[in-house]
Formats: sequence, C-alpha cells, structure tokens
Amino acid sequence: MRKFLLGKILQYAIVMAVVVSLNFLLPRLMPGTPIEMLGGEGVWLLSQAERDAITAKHGLDKSLGQQYIQYLANLFRGELGHSYNWGQPVGQMIAKRLPWTLLLTGTALILSTSFGILLGTFASWRRGKKSDILSISASMTVSSMPSFWLGMVLVAIFAVQLKLLPVFGARSPWTDYTGFRLVLDVLEHLILPVTSLVLLTLSGNFLLMRYSMLDVLGSDYVFMARAKGMTEGAVVYRHAMRNALLPMATAFMLNVGFMFSGAIVTETVFAYPGVGRMMYEAALARDYPLLQGAFLVISITVIGANLLSDFLYPLLDPRVRRPSREH
Amino acid sequence: MSTSRLREILKTFRRNPLGVVGVSILCAFLFVTVFADVISPYDPYERVGKPFEKPSTTHLLGTNDIGQDLLSEMIHGARISLGLGFVAATIAMTIGTVVGVVAGYAGGIVDTILMRMVDIVLVIPFLPLMILLAALLGPSFWNLVLVLSVIIWARPARVIRAQVLSLKERGHVVAARSTGGTVAHILFHHVIPAVLPLSLAQLILATRTTILIEASLSFLGLGDPISKSWGTILYYAQARSAFLTGAWLWWILPPGLLISAAVLGFAFTGYALEETVNPRLRGRR
Repeated sequence: MRKFLLGKILQYAIVMAVVVSLNFLLPRLMPGTPIEMLGGEGVWLLSQAERDAITAKHGLDKSLGQQYIQYLANLFRGELGHSYNWGQPVGQMIAKRLPWTLLLTGTALILSTSFGILLGTFASWRRGKKSDILSISASMTVSSMPSFWLGMVLVAIFAVQLKLLPVFGARSPWTDYTGFRLVLDVLEHLILPVTSLVLLTLSGNFLLMRYSMLDVLGSDYVFMARAKGMTEGAVVYRHAMRNALLPMATAFMLNVGFMFSGAIVTETVFAYPGVGRMMYEAALARDYPLLQGAFLVISITVIGANLLSDFLYPLLDPRVRRPSREH
Repeated sequence: MSTSRLREILKTFRRNPLGVVGVSILCAFLFVTVFADVISPYDPYERVGKPFEKPSTTHLLGTNDIGQDLLSEMIHGARISLGLGFVAATIAMTIGTVVGVVAGYAGGIVDTILMRMVDIVLVIPFLPLMILLAALLGPSFWNLVLVLSVIIWARPARVIRAQVLSLKERGHVVAARSTGGTVAHILFHHVIPAVLPLSLAQLILATRTTILIEASLSFLGLGDPISKSWGTILYYAQARSAFLTGAWLWWILPPGLLISAAVLGFAFTGYALEETVNPRLRGRR
C-alpha cells in the first residue's frame, strides 16, 4: 500500500515537473526574440541600451540553466511576474479572480454529481424501459453540443428574450448590495453559467452511475439480499447504491479538471470574472506572464485533484488497497 | 486484414441501427464538404449584402456584421471544421497506434516509459495547455492541427496497447514467434492488421473530440481568422453580441446545431464500429 502511494506521489511529482518546465520552455522555444514578447508592441521604439536593460532585468542575458533556476526560485516564492497589460503582480491578480471560479465550478460540480447519481440510479432501475432509453439519447445529444454554445443559447433565451436572469457578470454593476440582497444577486448571476457547466459533465456522470448501478445490481450479494426478501427500496438504497457510488468519487475528482477547463469558455461567454476568463483575455492580449500564471494555477489545481482522488479511493474501497500491476 | 473479416465486420455493422444513423449523418456532411462550392449560394468571403440582414429569400440565414452570407459561411465552414478535426485526429491516431503497438509488443522498460508519458499527457488539463500553445504559436490551420494532435494521441494509445497485449498471447502470434518469425514480420502481418479496425474506431471517436475542441479554441479567437470554421462564426457572433438581438436564431443556433450533428454522427459511427470490432463490448449497454 505504502509503495503504491509513494509510486503515485512520484508519478504526480513528475507531472508537476513537466508542467512547470513546459511553462518555462514553451515561450523560449517560440520563434522571435524574447525581448519582443517581454517588451510588447512598442519594443521597436526602444534604443539598444534600453533593450539591453530589459534583457538584463529579466535575466535573459544569463544561460538557460541559470534562468531555469531563477524561474524555479521565483516560483517557490510565489513570484509569477508582472502582467504586461496591467502591470500588477500576476499572483495577486489570480488570487482576486480565483474565488469566483471556485464558486462557479464548485457549485456546478456538486449539482452535476448529485443529479448524475439520482438520474443514473433511476435509469438503472428502469433499464430498457422508455424513460431509460429516452434519458440515454438525451444525454448523448447534450454531450455532443459545445458547452460555450449551450451557454450562448441559454443567455439568448433566458436572459435576453425572457429577461428572467442577468446577461453577464457575477454581480450587478453600480450597486452596493449587502447581506441577503448581495447573496441573492450573486446567485442570480450564477444560475446560467452553472447550468451550462452542469450540462457539460452531467451526461458523463449519469451514464457512469447508471452503468455502475447495473453492474452492482447484477452481483451475487444483491441477489442474496433480494432472496432474503428485502424490499426493492432497501436493496437499491442500502445495498446497491452504496457500492455503485464508488466510481462516482473518482469521477468527481476527474470532473474538477473538466470544470476548470470548461470554465475558461463558460466564463468567457458569461463575462464571469474568474481565472478562466482572465486566461482568455491574457491569450487574446498575448499577455504571456498572465497567461502562463493562469495555466500554472489551473494545472496545479487539476493535478492536485487527481492526486487526491488516487489517495481517497483506496480509503473508500478496501478492494483496491492492494492493487495488481495491471489495471 | 483479409477480405472475409472485412465483410464480416461490415455485416455486423449494418445490423447496428446506431451505426447506420451515424454513417448517414457523416455521408450527408461529406457531400456538403465536397460540393461546398456548388451548393452554397454565394462566395462566403464576398460582401454580398447589407450588414446584419435578417433571413430572406435572397439570404436564407441572413448576413453577418460585414454583409457576408451566413448560410454560405456555414456550408464552407464544414470544410474547415470537419477537415481540421479529421486531419488532427488522423495524426493523433497514427502517433497513438505506433505508441500503443510498440509499448504493448515490446513490454518491459519501453512499455513503462511510454505509458508514463501517456499518464502525464492525460493528467495535464488539455484546454489550458492548448490555449497557451495556440497563443504562443499564433493562429493558423496547421498550428491548430499540431496543438490538437499533440494532446489527443494519449487515450487511443492506451486502448491500442491493451489490445496488443491480449493479441500477443494468442495462438497464431505465439506460433509465429516460436517458429522464428522476425519482429517486423509479426508486427506487420499479425499485430497491426488486427489492430487497425480498432484504430479506425478510435480515429472516428477522436475526430468527435477534435471537432469540439477546435470549436472551443476558434470561439476563443485562437482559430484561423482567414478560413472560418463553425467555431469562428460563433466567435464573431459573440463579438458582435448577436445574442442580444433576434439574430441569435439564425447566427448562433445553426452553427451549434451543425457541430452537434457532426459530433453525434462521429460518436454513433465510432461506438458502433467499436462494438463490431471488439466483441467484448457487445451487449454491454
């Protein structure tokens, strides 16, 4: 067991090292001189001495190895550089935006998992019936739609045509609501982006739960429980569902990654002030420090969630505490 | 692959209603892609009307912000969206098949190293990495293809490897090995032909993913601005706030429905083919 966990930690450490190194190497592998990227548009107006000053300031006159060590040292101090466009420290800018993304993805994650469990259990119970087939077709159709497009359609229908919900943002502008009014305002703005994120992952959760339930319902101990004369409700909820939930725990953690990636487009559609939209803005403005900072933060979150799921799973399921080599 | 096996696959596939629907959808898109110049009423790159025109008999889906015909844009968009998705998926599948076959057949340290690489690629969140890459490389058709295929190869590689592992122990492969068949002979005569149908299924399923991701990247303004895909059309619709007016009905709805239809076509075909060539999957749903 310990060997398994150590192996996992080593594996994720390698992934982290790859991500951190990619973040360092990619911009340096690109065509064009680094000064072009660092100085932005106006770089050609500068004199040679000014250019040298910029190069020296960012340590670009040193060797690649020295630059890498400098980069790692900065990273450990939480120093991600300054945004070209805003001049602010990247770390601070991300910290300001991160709570919104966490609120958005967290809400969507909980809702998507809960609905997936409920619908999946229900569908497995009615296997082969009309409602089962209908829900499978519906989930396949929804999962074929681009999530950003679903978001645009939701805005057009519910915000613009029906005027039920706000069109964009996380709070109403020019207001200073407090207390309950503020909570209500934030929730109102949350509904549409959360819906489009939930739709992005719901069909996966639903199909997984349904498959997992069918698997468990066909097992010997459920047969035994039925043979003992337990009621159908007790069989489904007390026996089958508990074990069928196990794969959902892994899916939950993996969905963190989907949600964070999905949040980039969703936040863009709804002009939601999270890290995802910031990454989009940085990409369009070619604001590389900000772009790389956002990439790093999102990657670390996703990799952390994966690591956590690998650690939690053996605690939840005793059967995998001694895993075989091939899985 | 022998012709009898091919015929058998075709026969099983035809009995799968999902697959028939999928192939029909794909055929319709193939037709539109090939005959785009003939079908589309206007040149999508010419200004043929006033900006922001509503649908009429002259412009069935209206015009965009600079007076280009939207229907013609969408017909030509099929070429970019589907073409780019297919090319990227093909490159990714070629890498995936090679990695899967080598890892599965060689085993040992080669297998371990390649599969660790697969694990790494699978864990890195792909959309942020693609955005970073696309922003650094700059927008163009081939850069998008490169960015997509660099990420997509990993999952199919794992599927192919599993298949190769089980193939390796089958009678005719073991026989070929024990009678002194060279590695090249075994790979090209026994392993690769047997893996190809599965590769094809994976290719079709991967195309579904590349189409969706291409749409996302283009929607974020990281696509090729010169050759407009369905995602690019949606980018302009968003940038010109088409969702604030009635224009969403003819500017936003159709490209999304086209993407969904194409993705469903690839998904149905891929699942049906996977079930046909991999009997273990049959009857699981």
